[in-house]
Amino acid sequence: MKQSLYSPRRKRFNWQIFVMAMAGVLFLFVFAYIPMAGIVIGFKDMDYSLNIMKDLYTKPFVGLNNFIKFVQDAQFRTVMTNTLALGLLELVFTFPLPVFFALMLNEIRNNRYRKVVQTSTIFPYFISWVVYGGIVNIFLSTDSGFVNNMLMDLHLIDNPIPFMSKSEYFYTVVIVSSAIKGMGWGAVIYIAAIAGVDQQIYEAAGIDGANRWQMAFHVTLPCILPTITVQLLLALSGILNSGFDRIYMLQNPLNLIRSEVLDTYIYKVGISQRRYSFVTAVGVFRSVISVVLLSTGNLLSKKLSGNGLF
Amino acid sequence: MNVARKQSCLHRKNGWDYLMIVAMAVFMIICVYPFWYVIVGSFNDGPNYMRGGVYLWPRQWSLQNYMVTLVDSRLWIGFRVTILRTVICTVTHVFFTAMVAYAMSRRDLPFRKAIYWYNMFTMFFGGGLIPFYILLKQLGLINTFWVYVIPGLYSVYNMIICSNYFHHSIPEEIHESAIMDGASEFRIFARLYLPLSTPVLATIALWVGVGHWNAFYDSMVYTTDRNLQTLQLYLYKMIKTSEFVSSADMGGLPGTVQQNITSTTVRYATIVVSTVPVMCVYPFLQRFLTKGIMIGSLKG
Repeated sequence: MKQSLYSPRRKRFNWQIFVMAMAGVLFLFVFAYIPMAGIVIGFKDMDYSLNIMKDLYTKPFVGLNNFIKFVQDAQFRTVMTNTLALGLLELVFTFPLPVFFALMLNEIRNNRYRKVVQTSTIFPYFISWVVYGGIVNIFLSTDSGFVNNMLMDLHLIDNPIPFMSKSEYFYTVVIVSSAIKGMGWGAVIYIAAIAGVDQQIYEAAGIDGANRWQMAFHVTLPCILPTITVQLLLALSGILNSGFDRIYMLQNPLNLIRSEVLDTYIYKVGISQRRYSFVTAVGVFRSVISVVLLSTGNLLSKKLSGNGLF
Repeated sequence: MNVARKQSCLHRKNGWDYLMIVAMAVFMIICVYPFWYVIVGSFNDGPNYMRGGVYLWPRQWSLQNYMVTLVDSRLWIGFRVTILRTVICTVTHVFFTAMVAYAMSRRDLPFRKAIYWYNMFTMFFGGGLIPFYILLKQLGLINTFWVYVIPGLYSVYNMIICSNYFHHSIPEEIHESAIMDGASEFRIFARLYLPLSTPVLATIALWVGVGHWNAFYDSMVYTTDRNLQTLQLYLYKMIKTSEFVSSADMGGLPGTVQQNITSTTVRYATIVVSTVPVMCVYPFLQRFLTKGIMIGSLKG
């Protein structure tokens, strides 16, 4: 906290900044809190409604019916399994990759080379999932796609592998492509954290005879642990958020059994099938779980390591 | 600077170094090669390409894929909408968000704690798709250009980053002397704080700008008018569905062109055309991003 020398002792109501802050408050009231009130739709029966505004006031409450319908829905198991599986795989495989990448990049001594590596690995992050997903589709296609062509030229396989049309491959395709797309970008924050590590610790470790491998794992890694924790918490709260764009781009009717996740399900049921109440209930279900996950994670991390998000 | 690099003049490269250099090269290739593959394909003759084996350099050069891509009027509509929304949204978002951030960074803001939590709550809980859609409908934003701009005017996350920056990096004395000189709070914000916080504002502008350039969900859900279709939505339709260059636009091309293209190579060309702006701007913006993420990782 900065303490000013001339700070006026008297507390006066600062109207000017109050109005500026209220602009944000008003915005959120309209675009965040009014939709939140719209959650009541999830507790009424307004599916296929033609006049939503009228039905909003006239339709009776049906309690938790929509939630029960979702849990009993034939799709429930598929959607939840896929969403959770992708979320967990992401935490296990995609999340640690940027950390290791940052540690490895830190071992490169040539500054020019480091710059080049960083520039080229961050690049895919800036490309939309529409384009990236399109390229993934092209790359993995059975009809002269790059990967299949290569594997066949090397005589590793005799017939093209149907990466996109066989549902078994879907998780792998999503996880691997997202890992590649996000690795360079994800590492930026860790690289920044590594740059902030106190040099004296390395010197001390060097005097104690630590080699570079030991320095990376016993000095750098523990020093950037707070950053990792914060990132992990954010990742944890997003576990039910599969990223609409990428799933939608990689999804096709043939892999639907593994590719239907909450995001795409909500879009299809809500916008295409117009089951308004049902889909609102699904959304609430997801929001509540995310909030619970985030607060539990935050609490745990505060207990264990002393730092959290809030 | 880190020790490993300081020692570089003292030690000769060992196996470990070479392993890392090779590993990094592999990562680089994995990240960049897919784009190269598409660029190469886009410059290759269509039927020739389908024989396979074009990996590193076009086998039979052809610009006809681009001719087909560039005559499609939907591409240009997409470009126009996307460029307009990216520019307008980024500018208004940064200004509005920074203004609120300025107010939130002042410790004498009345009800500061309450307003802070009022903001925070929206980061973790929301109404979901349908209530939001109904709201936009009631506001008359559906199927207008403003559906891209107004809901994206403000972001709590960016506000917090920005307000941390104002609080930690701009000396309080600036504010005090401006107050002494009789400047209003808004004037101090617009004339002093905004110009003094270029790094953080540039970072936020980049995040927002890239987000808008790449967005297609809002265009898909909130608009049906094809004149409001963003570039990414056009690309989506082009890549995922068999929807191809409209015959009306194709009519203007010589008949030979149609024999020398395939849907695959034309798709490549479209991908390249839509990605070129990002490729051009990206190297210049990258340094802002790395700087900005450090600011973002500061906790208030």
